Formats: sequence, C-alpha cells, structure tokens
Amino acid sequence: MPEWYGPYGGSFVPETLVPALKELDAAWRAAHRDRAFRSELQQLAREWGGRPTPLYFAENLSRELGGARIYLKREDLVHGGAHKFNNALGQGLLTRRLGKKRLIAETGAGQHGVATAMVGAKLGLSTEVYMGSVDMERQRPNVLRMRLLGATVRPVEQGSRTLKEAINEALRDWIANVTTTHYLLGSAVGPHPYPSMVCEFQSVIGREILRESRKLWGHPPDLVLACVGGGSNAIGTFHPLLSTHAKLVGVEAGGTGNEGDRGAASIGAGRPGILHGMRSYLLQDEEGQILPTESVAPGLDYAGVGPEHAYLKDSGRVEYTSVTDDEALRMFHRLARTEGILPALEPCHALAEAVRRAPTMRPDEIIVVTLSGRGDKDVEEVVRRGLPG
Amino acid sequence: MASLGDVLKARRRRGQRSLLVYLMAGSVPDERYLEVVETLAASGVHGLEMGFPFSDPMAEGPVIQNAATLALSRGMRWGPFLGLLRECSRKLPTAVMTYMNPIEQRGVARAMEEIASAGGTGLILPDLPVEAALPYRKAGRAAGVDTILLASPASPPQRLRRLVRSTSGFLYLVSRYGTTGISGGTLPSARYQTAPLGPLLREAHEFRPRLPVLVGFGVQSPEDVQRHLTEGADGVVVGSAVQKRISEGASPEEIGAFVQSLLPPGSPPV
Repeated sequence: MPEWYGPYGGSFVPETLVPALKELDAAWRAAHRDRAFRSELQQLAREWGGRPTPLYFAENLSRELGGARIYLKREDLVHGGAHKFNNALGQGLLTRRLGKKRLIAETGAGQHGVATAMVGAKLGLSTEVYMGSVDMERQRPNVLRMRLLGATVRPVEQGSRTLKEAINEALRDWIANVTTTHYLLGSAVGPHPYPSMVCEFQSVIGREILRESRKLWGHPPDLVLACVGGGSNAIGTFHPLLSTHAKLVGVEAGGTGNEGDRGAASIGAGRPGILHGMRSYLLQDEEGQILPTESVAPGLDYAGVGPEHAYLKDSGRVEYTSVTDDEALRMFHRLARTEGILPALEPCHALAEAVRRAPTMRPDEIIVVTLSGRGDKDVEEVVRRGLPG
Repeated sequence: MASLGDVLKARRRRGQRSLLVYLMAGSVPDERYLEVVETLAASGVHGLEMGFPFSDPMAEGPVIQNAATLALSRGMRWGPFLGLLRECSRKLPTAVMTYMNPIEQRGVARAMEEIASAGGTGLILPDLPVEAALPYRKAGRAAGVDTILLASPASPPQRLRRLVRSTSGFLYLVSRYGTTGISGGTLPSARYQTAPLGPLLREAHEFRPRLPVLVGFGVQSPEDVQRHLTEGADGVVVGSAVQKRISEGASPEEIGAFVQSLLPPGSPPV
C-alpha cells in the first residue's frame, strides 16, 4: 500500500490526526491480509450490493457512431446507484474492526453520502454527512435518501459551498472526534492511507472488466475511459489495467468551456501543491490559494485530484482530457434515448469523450466506459436546464 | 527586536510565564492591525503570531476561518503581508502562522529568507508533520527562522519526544482534540474533548529542559490561562478570543483590558 506515487501523496495533516491515520493504516493492512475480512466484504458486495456488475454492449449507440464497439461497465447498477458503494462498504467493515461507533463523510453529488448512510444503517453506526449547501440544493433527492437511511446531513456554508468545503468541515469534525469516529473519505484523495485504500476497494471495477474481457474477447479492451473528479472510479477502473496494453483516458470536468474557465480540471489546468493532506495537482493561484471550481457535475466539482492520477499523468501511462458541461448534458439525453439508461452527469463526461473517439476507431476495436453512477439524482437539474429540441 | 524563541527561552529560564496573541493579517485594515499590535505590546503581551490567510484552513474554527476568508477577499497577498510583518516585528517578537501550500508555492527557502528579512523569527504550519519538516528546519536555520512544531494530546510518548527534539524556538502544544476557537456553536466539531496536559508538559520538559512549551487552541479566559499554567505550561497562545473582539470592532482600550486580564501573574513586559 504505497504512501507515495513519485512525488505525490504523503500525509500533511494536523498532529491530532497523525496517530489516527497510523492506526487506520495498520488496521487496513491487517484487514487486507485477513481472509475473513475479504470474504465478508465479497459476500456483502455480492448479496447486498449486487456485484459483479455487467459489462453491457451499448449496441444502439455504437451503431449510430459507426466505429469501435462501446461497452458500459454498469456501476450504476450497484446498490445505491453508484460505485461509491464499493469503498463505503469496505471502510464500514474496517470501522467495525477499529471499534469505532460513528461515521462521518463528505459528499458532493450525494452518492458517497448515500452509500455511507446505507453502510451506517446496515452496520449500526451513527452517520453524519457534510455537504455543501449548493450541492444540497442541486442534488436534493440524495439529501432525502440520506435522511431516510437515518443519517444526519450537515450543510456547509463556507467558500463555494461544494465538495472542497465539505471535506474541510469533515476533517475539522474528525480532529475533534478522532477517538470515537472514522472519517469515511469517499474518493482516492486525502492523506495516506486513503488514496491507496480507496483505490484497492474500488479496484473491483477494473478486475471485473479484465475478467469479463478475457472471457468475451480473450484480451483487454483497446480503450478504457472514466471520469475524474477526486478520481476514485477512475483509479479503480485503471489500476488493474495498468500492466495491460489498454489505452487509458481520464476525463475531467471542463466547466463552461469559455476562455479562462478552468472548470474543475485539476490535472489539465493545475499544478502540484498541498491540499487536504496530500501533494497532488491542484487548481490554485500563483500564491497557493485554492481556486473555486465550477461544474454541472457536483461529483467532479473539486480543485484537487488523487495523487496516483497525478503520477499517472506525469508518467504518461494515462491520458487526461476534459469535456464541457454542455457536452456532458447532451450526452445525458443521448444515452437516455439510445440505450434507455439515465446516466449520472459525472460519467457523462467520460461517455462524451468515448463518443468523440469511437468513430475514429475500427469496428473490431473495443471501448469500455465506466458508467460510475445512475442519473436519478440529476433529473431535476437536467430538466431545469431544458429538454433537447 | 530579539527572536520570539529567544525571548520565550529567557523567560522560561527566569521562571516567567508568557502570553502570545494570534491575529490574522488582512482581517482588518493595516492601520488598525498595527494599532492593535501596539496596544498588545503596551499591555505586556510577549509575542505575536501573525496569521497569513489560506483558503482552506483545516485546523481552524469559525472565527479564524472567517478572518481568513475576509482577509483574502480584502486582497491580502504575500507582498503586503511582508510589509505589515516588517512593521509588527518592530513592536513585538513575531512568528508567522499559515499553512503549507502558500509556503511551498513561494519556495520554502525563499519564504524563510523573506520572513527573516521582514523581521519574523518563527514559522508555524499546523499541517506540517514532523516527518516532512526537515527541509523547513534546514531552510529556517539558514535564514534564522524557527520552525515551530505542534504537539497534541493525541501524540503518543515516542512521538512527543520526536516533536520536542525537532521543534525550534518553542513547542506549540494543542490544548485539546479540536480546531482553534472558542466553544459554542451547533456543529459536533464545537463540542471538544479536553485532555489533561500535565503529563505531556512534564514529559516534554524532562526530555528538553530549556525548551518552552506553550499551550494554544481555545484559550479564552483567565481561568483557562491559570489551568494551563498550573499544568506546567510556559505560557499560552490566545487567538480566536482576541480575533473575535477585533472583528466585532472592539476599541484598543477594550482589547488592552482583555489581554491584561489574561496575562500570567507577575509577568513584566518584554
């Protein structure tokens, strides 16, 4: 479980959190080696979570585009409606092992908050979720789901009132309650051991893709895409495929696409710095103040990115690009009408990039896109922005 | 002006306790900031922790968070900060307190030199763990700026000894599990778990007898000051309690009266 990815990663936190992070690291290493832990995780993922998820051939969409065949890794079908379940369940079981009784989490789109609330209910842990008030407004259905699952949702009013501020507030809560509480961080970001631990819990996505592709085609896919905010579904998709020949593309949120708008493309428009306990690419001004971000997809609306992505960008193993709000919104409607699937706005970014590339590829080539979540949460927001023609 | 660390060490040697005040630069106009610093000096405060704002201050409670947001929106930047530091460090021994990223982006060595040439004699970064402190300690030693590390009630004995060994100037002991700030509020982060500091203070003093250890976070009343001095602290740092009064427009006389009420008994001015 690496702490460093080249110069990225590390653990830069107030002293009060250091012993808790060391304890978490040790517990996680022990759990990872423990067959009973792994088998309980697998059984719950299967019976409660609905894993493994299908690799679905998007036949209509592929035919329309007339190039490579596009497959969707259906993380939208996991219990709760997003890949966030994989990590929340793993860390929930770890919390029980640590003997802690209270969970806190941050959430942007609300999917991680919902997953944490489900796990809290299932494992009998009291759960509080920090969420920016802007996100609470635009992802209202998820706020209601969290409450119905017994969690307390705490609005965060600082700064741009989105994901970054929710993480700040969760960290402050953790500093105050570290002896009784586990911080169930939802992305592959933050201080060690979170990035490597979240990557491992999410790598079930990439492992299933690899297994299924061997069965279907006898080789890994030619091109694999995933959206990148903090980057947990992307790292879970990519990590098991790093040693294959598959081309890997991470897609960041480009915002409005107007001149000077960085959106939330930390890799595309940022540079290395320290935020939330990690060294990674950040959107920041020349003096190191973190910049506000803007994306139609709350789950991508974050000024940082997981440290392993920063490393994979520098090494060139993964290509990173971005897609604008409008392209993502158009993709939402397109997938709904061609395949009968309402996708979350986050993976619409990855889908839009796949749609760009498919026509330039041969019909015998395979594209896999991780459909990281379903779009029910976005329905109000998408309708508010207007239905297509 | 003598360095903050040297002043605190000399006071510890003489058995005197010290009071430091933290104030966010840029949270009020510079003239008012300077006026307050003059008041602090005249009231017998022994040193200043001058805050440079960071957009995401994870160890701060609402008072300092709001002061940082206000300072950034009022346009506080590194250049003007150094100008203000130059003025303040003539009035009180001064350390700079901010977060790692602004210093990293400036370049650690360059930032240390700039702090030193503006008269600052210490740097405090709540998110700098001892494991990552070496480049700071080296650059700080070359420039003449103490890298002041923080310890916490959560620090186990082995780690406390490492912090005591590695810090310079003084050790900043966090009083409790929690962020900076005065109690109250509805968030769970405002319900703080306190911890007895006596054993930590004894351990630190036994291990490095000449090193001053000051307690901060949540110190807001004469009773708090007395408690920490009884536990064995060489002094206290008061931040939010003063910042709140200044942000609410308290007069210099009111600020002076408040900090005098916190001064450890029998502590003559610098």
